Amino acid sequence: METKKRLGFVSNYLLLIILGSLFALPFLYTIYTSFVTMQDVNKLSGFSNLTFQNYKLFFTNDAYNVPQWLINTVIMTALVILGNLIINPMAAFALAKLDFRGKKIVFWIVLGSMMVPYHMILIPVYVNVAQLGWLNSFAGLTVPFLYQSLYIFMLRQFFVTVPGEFIEAARLDGLTKMGAFWRIVYPLAKSSLITMSILAFAGTWNSYLIPSTLVSDPERYVLVVGLNSVKDAFFENTPLIMAGVVLTTLPILIFFFIFQKQYIEGISSSGVKG
Amino acid sequence: MTTNSNKQSRLRSIADSDMAVGWLFTLPFLVLWAWWFFYPFIQSFIRSFQDANFAALDEAKFIGLQNYITILHDPQFYRAVLHSLQIVVIAVPIQTVLGLLVAMLVNQKIKGKGIFRTIFFIPYITSQIAVTTVFMMLFKQGTFVTEFFTLFGFADTTWFADTRYALLFVSLLFIFQQIGFSMIVYLSALQEVPKDLYEAGQMDGASKWAQFRFITIPYVKPITFFVVSVATILGFQIYDQIAAISRYGALGSPAGATSTVVTYFYQNGIRYMNIGYGSAAVVLFFFIIMIITFLQKKLLDEKG
Repeated sequence: METKKRLGFVSNYLLLIILGSLFALPFLYTIYTSFVTMQDVNKLSGFSNLTFQNYKLFFTNDAYNVPQWLINTVIMTALVILGNLIINPMAAFALAKLDFRGKKIVFWIVLGSMMVPYHMILIPVYVNVAQLGWLNSFAGLTVPFLYQSLYIFMLRQFFVTVPGEFIEAARLDGLTKMGAFWRIVYPLAKSSLITMSILAFAGTWNSYLIPSTLVSDPERYVLVVGLNSVKDAFFENTPLIMAGVVLTTLPILIFFFIFQKQYIEGISSSGVKG
Repeated sequence: MTTNSNKQSRLRSIADSDMAVGWLFTLPFLVLWAWWFFYPFIQSFIRSFQDANFAALDEAKFIGLQNYITILHDPQFYRAVLHSLQIVVIAVPIQTVLGLLVAMLVNQKIKGKGIFRTIFFIPYITSQIAVTTVFMMLFKQGTFVTEFFTLFGFADTTWFADTRYALLFVSLLFIFQQIGFSMIVYLSALQEVPKDLYEAGQMDGASKWAQFRFITIPYVKPITFFVVSVATILGFQIYDQIAAISRYGALGSPAGATSTVVTYFYQNGIRYMNIGYGSAAVVLFFFIIMIITFLQKKLLDEKG
């Protein structure tokens, strides 16, 4: 019995190690290959032959200007998160705690638009952005995405659990309902707001469909779109492309390691990527 | 003085009224929603009945169902639908089973489980373009990866450029990235299974397999439906991976082997700027998703 149990444990561990290695392999391959020369691709070249050469291009070539793409991505992501941090909780609070005529309709609007894949509206959004002259601009990349119905729904779920007495107590202290929201309820929602921001961050940072549709000027690329152009332009130069992958993925990985716990909790509670 | 305080108390009562604050707080959302969701949503339907080109939108004219008729007579559209279904049929079951397996493996009391969880989860938080790029380098003809796969009867070829393997390659990418999500969702479900259920099972002499079959599987069943529906919807929406492997070619390269409903509408509506035709394809895409969601719900209700 004991040996059988042991055997089961060992085989489980072995399976885990095999699967884990398969998953880690592309990751390790990427890092390693980004430091070799083209002759040494897919060979074990020894540590003395490793080079930083592949990374240099991205800081010297204006057409593949990773620092610029990083700035663009940071601005886009920051604006989207900022909008979502203001607009979503306001609407969510109104839906959870205020009693106004038409509330039911607003709630159905939230539910209805939550389910629709973005593809459904992409063509008209593209046309409207173009007609406003917003192609290749931050306005086009951010204004349509300053809110998310899904996050409004998530935050509403939280606000419903906030006891009405909190608001009543705040009103007895002389605050209005509006004041009670900003001063009392909003700070209470901190952990929900962090979860939302993390999901919005990952979703925006990694998005390709929208930025690749609305931006064609390499100066205005975000990291993901830039990476794709690097891959296409230097297709035979695997080490260079791998250096591009490392540079463009590093920020989101660092972010992930910082917020790992909240991010995973957010995923398992909401079941969305953003 | 009195008017001032009157004004102040009026403002106060507005800021304290449910009606006023309710609308004020939902207004920013409603404006953006009407502007960037509802209007485009309606536009998609209207444009689908028009002959409209992006270069000459003023000359758009109503042509009734013509776009739909053309699409439904286009063999390429059916090929695209078939490919979308193939991706889902290949990838969804595999990622669900592996997601559960991996979740169970990292749910044991073992050393280093945190590291393994992170390893399985990293692909999910990485951008699709980055993962596709890495896999493209790995699945070029003559690499150790393609050579390894010859052991299973695959030809040593550049997978994403070979019409036989390109769709499988896309499915593989989707599986690789989606497992992390399924694992996390399953993991939180597994941790909820009451321990005494297993203890009771052990007392009754149930084998590990029997415990898995009769305790774990029924317990995580609702989660399985969730994992399957999420993966199905996302599988139908795959775009980034296919765009990345097509490089400078038409979407769905090589030779349409990876065309899907999504690339079909994108190629026509945005790349060819045929707004009307692309919109009709989008509307059809929307109905396909709705039908699938409906069927899944029905299946869920019957089984649950």
